[in-house]
Amino acid sequence: MAHLMLIVFLVEATVSFINAVGAAKINDLLWTLINFLPVPTSKAAAEQRKVQADYLAVRREMNATSSQDEFAKWAKLRRKHDKLLEQLEASKKGLDSARSRFDSALTALRFLLTRAPQYIIPFWYATEPMFWLPHGWFPYYAEWIISFPRAPLGSVSIASWQLACAGIVTLLSDILTFIFKLVLGSKQPETPIKTPTEEKSKETSTTDEKKTS
Amino acid sequence: MAAVIDEDALEPSLQTLLDQRSLRWIFVGGKGGVGKTTTSCSLAIQLAKVRRSVLLISTDPAHNLSDAFNQKFGKEARLINGFDNLSAMEIDPNGSMQDLLAGQGESAEDLNAMSGGIGGMMQDLAFAIPGIDEAMSFAEVLKQVKSLSYETIIFDTAPTGHTLRFLQFPSVLEKALAKVSQLSSQYGPLLNGFLGSNGALPNGQNLNEMMEKLESLRGTISEVNTQFKDAELTTFVCVCIAEFLSLYETERMIQELANYGIDTHSIVVNQLLFPKRENDCEQCNARRKMQLKYLDQYEELYSEDFNVVKMPLLVEEVRGKEKLEKFSEMLVKPYVPPQ
Repeated sequence: MAHLMLIVFLVEATVSFINAVGAAKINDLLWTLINFLPVPTSKAAAEQRKVQADYLAVRREMNATSSQDEFAKWAKLRRKHDKLLEQLEASKKGLDSARSRFDSALTALRFLLTRAPQYIIPFWYATEPMFWLPHGWFPYYAEWIISFPRAPLGSVSIASWQLACAGIVTLLSDILTFIFKLVLGSKQPETPIKTPTEEKSKETSTTDEKKTS
Repeated sequence: MAAVIDEDALEPSLQTLLDQRSLRWIFVGGKGGVGKTTTSCSLAIQLAKVRRSVLLISTDPAHNLSDAFNQKFGKEARLINGFDNLSAMEIDPNGSMQDLLAGQGESAEDLNAMSGGIGGMMQDLAFAIPGIDEAMSFAEVLKQVKSLSYETIIFDTAPTGHTLRFLQFPSVLEKALAKVSQLSSQYGPLLNGFLGSNGALPNGQNLNEMMEKLESLRGTISEVNTQFKDAELTTFVCVCIAEFLSLYETERMIQELANYGIDTHSIVVNQLLFPKRENDCEQCNARRKMQLKYLDQYEELYSEDFNVVKMPLLVEEVRGKEKLEKFSEMLVKPYVPPQ
């Protein structure tokens, strides 16, 4: 049952990682990465950037042209401007819809890879013992709870194991973020903008932190 | 400085309009005061020479047809004195929607009776759609015109903004009416349950009758819509003067017409000054210079795709049949200023 326990732990770790980073950020990152590949959307995005540049150029030129003195030139620029704007809006709409399609696909995939195993695996292996507790170490009611819901009495059920994994992952992530903040906090005095009083207070705080650590 | 004339510039006359026998609707539009009415009357006179029958309709609330021909015109088409195939009529685009809703009722009591019940609701609904009253009267006129079987119909439209709204109506109204008839087919039985089997409305109207009326109106309008978007049947003549604002408005109008899918390939530049050489009129010379500047812009911008007709400013008002006939000649044969 060792690999099952590992899978449950990994799923919990992934879920907590995604929650910590944020699903939207991961989507953004993946979208950016995918657009480095020669996929249609990246081509469309490049096209849009080109149209945007053209549009801005035409706009600048139009603003620099006096409509009173050179109306014909101005009007031609205006026509071009309107056409480019229309094109730009259409391509933006296309890109937006591609992005939302990508997002919904990714959300579905994420659901399938994390939430589904999180519920289906415990349900499926509910009667399997993960490992056995040494006999007589725990009182009956503790054994009963640990084997909850359907594992044989005296064993650790998959639900208990999952709960333990979630707890450990939360604990670990809390410790990691604490250490991270500590490291960042000790680096902060090196930032250039500071007033004398702030500097003093920060120095005292860092020395305090060093003492505690 | 003379206007640059390109090799591929189109003919500076409206002869193409006269030659295009398939044309059924001709709109004449532009900013206020540029001579739309004069131009449309002249065009009508020229068309009457080559067509079986021509109708000139003014949709401008400030009706000028009566002034131009020195003859009173009304809601009914009437032959213009001195012509046997040219008629004119004046319609009010702001003509009341109530007329239509209250059947053919024109008394004020009918309208007051409508203030309550379903009639009032319909009225509110009808007025919630912007411009629907104008569109309704427009559609009524078109229905009337269709039955009259004129070969060509010329619309003397109201100043720019108005015109464009007017032309947009068919699509607006068609959408609105499609919704209404859909609703009526869905909830008609329910309403009939309320109103009794004959579907009588509180103001003495009949629901089914009204829906039928709306449906037939929708049919007319969608037909008109397809006709207006057909370059073979419909064209728009832009009238303008050689001034900045007029030029600007014309460009805007042409772009919008292109958006609506309405064909336009004629521009009439009106009120051009041709002062005699070595004259002392300071104002005339200054104005001539300014007009030339904008005329150049017109030529540069439009001469490739449009017939740009240049019309002179006369020393007298163009009124009455003879003067209009003389003026109309210049639409076909370009005016050559006496040197």
